[in-house]
Amino acid sequence: MSEGPTVSGELTITRIFNARPEVVFECMTTPSHLTHFWGPIGISTPLSGIIVEPKPGGRFETLMVNDQSGEEYPMRGVFVEFDPPKKFSFTEAGVEGGMMTSIVFHDLGDGRTETVTHQTNVPPMLMSPEARQGLESSFVKMDEYLERL
Amino acid sequence: MARLAKGQATVNEIAEPFAMSLQAVSKHLKVLEVAGLISRGRDAQYRPCRFEPAPLEVATDWMTKNQQIWTERFDRLEQHLTHINHDQHKEKK
Repeated sequence: MSEGPTVSGELTITRIFNARPEVVFECMTTPSHLTHFWGPIGISTPLSGIIVEPKPGGRFETLMVNDQSGEEYPMRGVFVEFDPPKKFSFTEAGVEGGMMTSIVFHDLGDGRTETVTHQTNVPPMLMSPEARQGLESSFVKMDEYLERL
Repeated sequence: MARLAKGQATVNEIAEPFAMSLQAVSKHLKVLEVAGLISRGRDAQYRPCRFEPAPLEVATDWMTKNQQIWTERFDRLEQHLTHINHDQHKEKK
C-alpha cells in the first residue's frame, strides 16, 4: 500500500492500534474521547467545540486551539458514511476546494485494529469549474447511492 | 507531464509516443492548461508547452502538512488507548 503524499493528490495513512475496532471507532467518533487526541502536538481540542452527529449527513465539527498562540482552527465536516465499527467518512466543503476523508477499521483478530485513513484533497489552483462540478456531482451520486443501501 | 518535466515541447513531440490523435492530445493539454499545470508559448503555429510546478508544490506542501497532523493525532490516540486499557484493568481489579 502506498504511504504518504502522492502526486495524484491523495494521502493514505495506515496505522495499527492495540485495541479492538469497536474501541478505536468509538474513540474517533465520541467527543469525550476526541478531546484527548484530535489536536496534533501543541494543539488542544476543547470538548465544548466538538460536535458529532453519528449518522450520514450528520455534522462532524471540531475546534482546535493552538496552545501557545491561541489561534483557532475550525473543522466543519459532514459525515457521508457512518458504519460502526467498520468505516466512517466525511467531507469538508470549505477546505481548499473540497476534501473527502475516509477511515476504514480492519479487525486483525488478535485484539488489534488496522486503520486506513484516506484523504483526497483538491486545492483550488488545480480545481477548474468543470472539475469542481464533476466532484460535486460524484458526491451527490455517492449520497444517493448510500441512501439506497 | 513526464515529457514536459524534461523541458518544453510541442504538441507533436508530446503526442509522438502515444496511440492518440493530435486532437485528443490537444484536449488533454487544454485541461492541464486550465488547471495551471502547463503554460503554452505564444508562437502561433507551435505553441510549445511548458510544465508549471507551482500548483503541484502547493498540493504537496499541503499533503505533507496533513500527513504530519494525522501522524501526531494517531500518536496521541495510541497513548489515549493505553490509558483506557490501563483504567479498565484497574476497574477489573
